[in-house]
Amino acid sequence: MATDGGSSVFVSPCAFSPKSHQYLALSTQDGSLRVWDTQSNTLYQEYVPSAHLSATCTCLAWGPCRTFKDGPQRKKRKSEVAQLGSQLDLLALGTAAGTVLLYSTVKGQLHSKLDGGHDSKVNCVRWHPENNSLYSCSDDSHIVEWDLQTGKVKCKWKADKCAVSCLCLSPDGKMLLSAGQTIKMWDLETKEVYRRFTGHATAVSMLCFATTRPPTRGMEGLYFLSGAAHDRMLSVWQVRSDGKDKNAVLSFTLTDEPIYVDLAMSQSKDEAVKLAVVCKDNQMHLFEHVLNGHCKKPLSPSCSVQVASPGSVGDSVPWPVPIMAAALTIDKQALLLAYGSGLQPVIERTTLNAGETHVCLVRDIQASLTLRTETTVTKVKTPTVKADAKLLVPGLPGHSALNKSTPLETKRKPGSDTKEMSIEERLGVIDLSPAEGHKGVHKGGLPLQTDSFAVLLVQGLESSDSNILNKVFQTKKEVLIKKTVARLPIPAVLPLVQELSKRMQGHPYSGVLMVRWLKAVFTFHASYLSTLPSLVSQLGVLYHMIESRVKMFHKLSRLHGKLYLLITQIAATDKSHSVAALDQTAKLVYEEDSSEEEEEGTGDEMLAEEEDSDHWEEEEEMKEVTERSDKGEEHSDEEMNIENKLNGDSDLEADNESEEE
Amino acid sequence: MVEQGEIRVVRCGGSTINYRKAIFTLDSKYLLCTSGDMVKVYSTATEECVHVLQGHTNLVTGIALNPTNHLQVYSCSIDGTIKLWDFTDNILIKTFTVGYKLLALYTSKAHEGCVFVIIPKENDEALDSFQLVAVKLPKSSDQEVAATELSFVLNDVSQLPKCTSYGREGEFVASVKGLYLTVYFFRNQKTYRLSLNATHKKGANNIFTCVACHPKEDCIATGHEDGKIRLWRNFNRKKEYTHSTHHWHHSAVNDLSFTPEGTNLLSGGIESVLVQWRYGEETKKDFLPRLGAAIAHISTSPEGSLYCTSHSDNKITIIQSNLRVSAVIQGLVKGDTIKTDLMIDPRTKALVLNGKPGHLQFYSLQHDKQLYNLDIVQQEYINQSGLHQFEVVKAAFDAQGSWLATVEERKEKLTDLEIQLKIWVYKDEMQSFVLNTTITSPHEDHITALCFCNTNETTMLVTTGRDGRFKAWVLGDDSDIYRESVCWSCDFVGNYHNLLATNCCFSEDGSLLAVGFEQIVTIWNPNTWDLVCTFCQPPGKIKDLCFGRLSCSKYLLGTTTNSFLCCWNLLTCTLEWSVGLNVILLQVDPLSENVAAFSCAAENSDLFVFRPNEPRPVYLQKGICQGSVQRAVFTPREVPEENSSESSQWLNRSQLYFLTRDMDLMTFSTKTEEDRLTASSKQLLIEENVPVTPFYLLLGKHRQAKLDAENGTLAAQVQLPQGSVAIKELLQTPAHVLPSATFLCTMFVNSLLISKDGKSVVPEEAEEEMESEKEEDETSDQEMDSQHKVKPEYFVEELVPKLSKKEERDLKRVRKTDYSWLCPFYGKLP
Repeated sequence: MATDGGSSVFVSPCAFSPKSHQYLALSTQDGSLRVWDTQSNTLYQEYVPSAHLSATCTCLAWGPCRTFKDGPQRKKRKSEVAQLGSQLDLLALGTAAGTVLLYSTVKGQLHSKLDGGHDSKVNCVRWHPENNSLYSCSDDSHIVEWDLQTGKVKCKWKADKCAVSCLCLSPDGKMLLSAGQTIKMWDLETKEVYRRFTGHATAVSMLCFATTRPPTRGMEGLYFLSGAAHDRMLSVWQVRSDGKDKNAVLSFTLTDEPIYVDLAMSQSKDEAVKLAVVCKDNQMHLFEHVLNGHCKKPLSPSCSVQVASPGSVGDSVPWPVPIMAAALTIDKQALLLAYGSGLQPVIERTTLNAGETHVCLVRDIQASLTLRTETTVTKVKTPTVKADAKLLVPGLPGHSALNKSTPLETKRKPGSDTKEMSIEERLGVIDLSPAEGHKGVHKGGLPLQTDSFAVLLVQGLESSDSNILNKVFQTKKEVLIKKTVARLPIPAVLPLVQELSKRMQGHPYSGVLMVRWLKAVFTFHASYLSTLPSLVSQLGVLYHMIESRVKMFHKLSRLHGKLYLLITQIAATDKSHSVAALDQTAKLVYEEDSSEEEEEGTGDEMLAEEEDSDHWEEEEEMKEVTERSDKGEEHSDEEMNIENKLNGDSDLEADNESEEE
Repeated sequence: MVEQGEIRVVRCGGSTINYRKAIFTLDSKYLLCTSGDMVKVYSTATEECVHVLQGHTNLVTGIALNPTNHLQVYSCSIDGTIKLWDFTDNILIKTFTVGYKLLALYTSKAHEGCVFVIIPKENDEALDSFQLVAVKLPKSSDQEVAATELSFVLNDVSQLPKCTSYGREGEFVASVKGLYLTVYFFRNQKTYRLSLNATHKKGANNIFTCVACHPKEDCIATGHEDGKIRLWRNFNRKKEYTHSTHHWHHSAVNDLSFTPEGTNLLSGGIESVLVQWRYGEETKKDFLPRLGAAIAHISTSPEGSLYCTSHSDNKITIIQSNLRVSAVIQGLVKGDTIKTDLMIDPRTKALVLNGKPGHLQFYSLQHDKQLYNLDIVQQEYINQSGLHQFEVVKAAFDAQGSWLATVEERKEKLTDLEIQLKIWVYKDEMQSFVLNTTITSPHEDHITALCFCNTNETTMLVTTGRDGRFKAWVLGDDSDIYRESVCWSCDFVGNYHNLLATNCCFSEDGSLLAVGFEQIVTIWNPNTWDLVCTFCQPPGKIKDLCFGRLSCSKYLLGTTTNSFLCCWNLLTCTLEWSVGLNVILLQVDPLSENVAAFSCAAENSDLFVFRPNEPRPVYLQKGICQGSVQRAVFTPREVPEENSSESSQWLNRSQLYFLTRDMDLMTFSTKTEEDRLTASSKQLLIEENVPVTPFYLLLGKHRQAKLDAENGTLAAQVQLPQGSVAIKELLQTPAHVLPSATFLCTMFVNSLLISKDGKSVVPEEAEEEMESEKEEDETSDQEMDSQHKVKPEYFVEELVPKLSKKEERDLKRVRKTDYSWLCPFYGKLP
């Protein structure tokens, strides 16, 4: 979509491949062509034309699909191959020097160069849907029809007084629209102007047919769209035989000049035409309209899409991400968006909700860029693993729920309400009934101690002060623990159990300490705990954790027993040996050495015999070079043995065989 | 029987490309490889398949370039034919019928008009004895020729093509089998048999695995089971043969290949490291590690700039000679078994299944192309046999494709089973999956099934395990003061009489969960976790379980091991119907009421498509493939088809893909689909004319001019006095009395400028100097224009044919002049 002069920002020409939108071809400012795979979002091909700086690509168009396979299908049933349909191949590039290049994506190389048609910048190229021909228009005010079979100019005619900025072929390939000063419709058979349309004040940058040709009434009723530079409108025109087509039938309002338009034609008359327009201000608009004649009021988009970077990371200001192209998928439900920079576009398939009129997609381009760079050659995508991903191991809450056979009440939020209740209760208890506490203390017959562990513990639990709790839980004296738990007021028991189970999940060492406390709690407060209605949910976590922790205990103790047995046996034999004479050990060492040698010797002889059996005369020459590889070699296990050996003396060779390893 | 012929079973891509060695064309632009009963032509630059050579009726077992015409390729097949193709235009030139099963094919420059094939002895593969024979290809203009003239070359060879290799200039052929290396010389028709001893000491294993011959010298490289490479020399003299041993590979050498000039030897094995040995100094090696999977074949391009390795994971890697990977042609990765089901990624509509070890592969069915592998395990895979590593065994997508659950397992013989359940979320912001929750050992035994609750808001995942439990995991809030996040945690653990939980399935609206416990199907309410009801008739372990869709959602279907297909009505809690049918696979179309059931009877698979509420099947086809169907999946079509006929209506909304026993991916195609495809198959013929470089442009222009000149001035040239006296004199005159080159040069150049347009002369210089050596003896010497640096004799000789009479006169005049004073300058000339 080349825009005519006056536009300050360079809009890189880009196009989705037709039909299945498998590829996005994009020509960057430096003239190199990149083809991106839309499904895997990777760079598929890169091609730099030889004259990419002098003859920069100004426009591009995908050719019609190439068939993958031709000839009649064989009628054999089993080993038949599904026809793959068609494969895309050629891409036409118009250059600033007036040439047209045909690039083959299958071969990854230039297919053909069409020369000698234009003197000036090519503004637009369009393929004929059926014939082997291509149309191009240029600043030199001519339109050229190329015969691709020969690569020559088939026809060239002056289309306008000034530059021709845009072309469009009708879906049946019989009519051609060109835009210069005015929009002209040409009959391609006679190369004569069929109709003229005037209305745009600035250069027309975009032309597009909106309906297929009605089969019966000639050109009547054919709709097409046009957009122009600096124009915030897309005009829709209708070709009418009665000549009442001087003005645009209707118009779509945009926020800026259109740079990319994709249109899904309607299959029936009542079906709405869907239109996706990317504007220069990085917005994309979706329109849906049933084309049925005149409409005075400009139509506003049914949905506008913007892409922005997330604002939270580093720089706090979200910035808009430019959208380069958009295409409607075949089923017209989803939308293919290409956004980001021209060097590394991100291609995304999104489904938009019908109701929303303005959508802002938050996309982190930087993150997705880094993800994709390695993918191109290895074709391996590594999903992100962040440190904050939740890890559930056996024993942690959430790993296992209760194994129940009777239905429980819904327990989606276990414990949350009871905890709150307990704090209130505890406050109530502390405020209202200090006397009770005194009584309890007096009953026990012990003097009130301000620094006692029980008080400390209650304080710590109430304020959830980890310092106090740490201090309390550090203690290892069984007696002290027992007394503290025994003195604990009843409302503090449940928080204590919760705190203990939380601490149990931590380091195993802390578990050892906590188990003492838990024991004490269960010995002194078992009756209270059993009265609790939420007993199962309160202690379930603890139960699962203990169960999973001791799962291996059985095996471990067995292993421990075996090891113990072994160690004690070894120790016992050692003792008996140390009692016996010491000189025996020295003999043992000698024996091992000699036996090894013997073994090798026998091996050699055997080998020698085998070599003899080959019935070849053997000479007595032999060499052996053994080299140790350099230490710098990257493989530590690598040992190089080179052995040049003539088929020599049997004994010697056998020696080598054994030393080789 | 429903009328057939409308729907056909077709293979859809994903074919094997690593069966045999791939070969490069002479210009290294294309790579040819066998793929089932076809030969595929790939572009080495773009990894695209350019052509498919089709015509064989059975497995293609060998391909080789025609040594006399490098644009043609021979292929041989089990079907007993050798076909000659023009691979650039995809034309079958000739078919030679041999009549034997052909297992490998070799060509050699020294043996024109004949190819070598390996055939089973007496055409019986069961004998396990194979021989190498030469097939004389009769010269005939017919398309189909019978080639019956076989001449025996070697007996008792290995059937693998890599175990036979042709030596320098095709003078000899070397073949290995077991512990023997056999060399046959064609010239004196002598066979030499060299052997190694079968030692097993210290891990040595001398069995040969492959052989390669040096292209320029008499040297044979052999690879062995224990990873050694031996280089054999002097093997043509019986007594004096030598060999040197090189050892780097720790297990068997899978393939060996010399580079075309023989400067390097390439080897590869299961380590998936390509080792490049320098010939002559084998201590120096270069490595290309981490190629992903075991190397099966290695080949080199004829000019030596590219190597390619075929890997066990159905992949061809193209490697530049500086050991950099330039392209990867990846087929559908197929292991021995597909542990995960076939799945469809709801977002990209790609087929998802096990890929490389520890990966999930995403495969585009529309374009028959692997999109990417998703690394789930994220651990370096060690290529070594006998090592147990983490494998992805189960995976599931939710209905929107935003959540992915994977199960990875590692099972070693003695230790405990290690299982991890990972739940990934697709982040739109990053366009990538992000790990959300990892659950280690979610069950105490293997996980048998997992499924997401397919309502709009995904909140529940159910896993069933062999420990007799099923667990429901729910999405919950995990926010703290630092971040907002969600994570999955266990909500419910259920069991039923301590039976193994084998299947689970959610109803379409997510209101019911069916869990199969061996023989019993239990229905649970996932909101309250009440056991709603149980079904158990007729007894037999549950194999598959699924709910009906759309209007049939009140039905629950199940298959049992004792060959029953049951349908329960959930409203009445009764068995609606049951059928005695050995169903091995049950698959529900998510977009319609149809259910596909694959059954296996007598080595053939049958397909039944039915609706649970109708007694008559919608479609049935017998014998869709050999063996039982492994996996199947319905994929939604992008655009619904418009099949009107009753039997093919079930394919309107979705397509059914299945994997056969041989891991071939097949599908059903309808007539209208094929019609549409053939209708649009109009070949676009576009002439190729590429001015590749400016240099080429100049050359082209020059050639053009030359052609024009030849045509135009042919008459004048004929008249040229070849035996002109003046020229003779000039030639016979001693060099030292001739005028200086510079003097003659300007004149000569001027003479050329008259006859040609002057533009092209100047830039041609560079190239002319290059070509001058080659074209010395050419007669048309218009190119020899500006030879400043050439000696006079040579110069004059070049000059001969194009002197006009006027020039001749000039020359004569020159001769008469005394230029002896120039002699001192002459010496200074460059």
